[in-house]
Amino acid sequence: MSTVFKALSDPTRRKVLQLLQAGPIGAGELADMFDVSKPTMSAHFAVLVGAGLIEAEKQGRNVTYRLKLSVLEEALLGFAQAFGLQVTRPEGGHSEVESKREKP
Amino acid sequence: MKAAFAPGRALAGAAFIIAASLLLRWATPEYLSAEMARRLTGVLLGAIVVVYANAIPKSLVALARLRCSPAREQAARRFAGWSLVLGGIGYMAASLIAPLASMHLVGGAILAVALAAAILRCMRAGNPAHG
Repeated sequence: MSTVFKALSDPTRRKVLQLLQAGPIGAGELADMFDVSKPTMSAHFAVLVGAGLIEAEKQGRNVTYRLKLSVLEEALLGFAQAFGLQVTRPEGGHSEVESKREKP
Repeated sequence: MKAAFAPGRALAGAAFIIAASLLLRWATPEYLSAEMARRLTGVLLGAIVVVYANAIPKSLVALARLRCSPAREQAARRFAGWSLVLGGIGYMAASLIAPLASMHLVGGAILAVALAAAILRCMRAGNPAHG
């Protein structure tokens, strides 16, 4: 359950889940909807897949992401959206995903 | 929350239901009144519906095997999950609040409406005429 809370604590990942509520979306198309680099988006997707909130399905050379939220997880997502659940970042600091990506 | 309907979890769930039922039977009438035992049995049944309905949106079918649009299938699955979770909660509430004589009738009606709504929504998703 802690992985679910961790995944829902980031606004970018919450936005990904919101977009996927309309239906499955290809990885490239989904990454293009955000103003961040593709490797950073891949890291966000990995966190969501790891928490079991989305599923990646390969179709030929393309990867399609699908929502895999239980009713409780969807209610938590709504709660997090409504009350702005967010991990606090240090002044001028990077998100956890960005920090991990910057490590050699 | 990996495999929603894994056999191990299903067996553990069945063992829990049997244990809870035996506990209620053992506790009546020394520790629990017969009325409270009946109400708690209703709450247990509602909780089982909630637990299984909660996992409905997580049980995905491979995209290649879908016979309708993936977006519509996903929407129907989410609706069915929410509908049955609310129906289960309604059944639990009816078991706790409704008069004893009509407890199962009220709870059953709530659950039947939720089930009918879920079935209709799923049938609609599979019908291309409702695109």
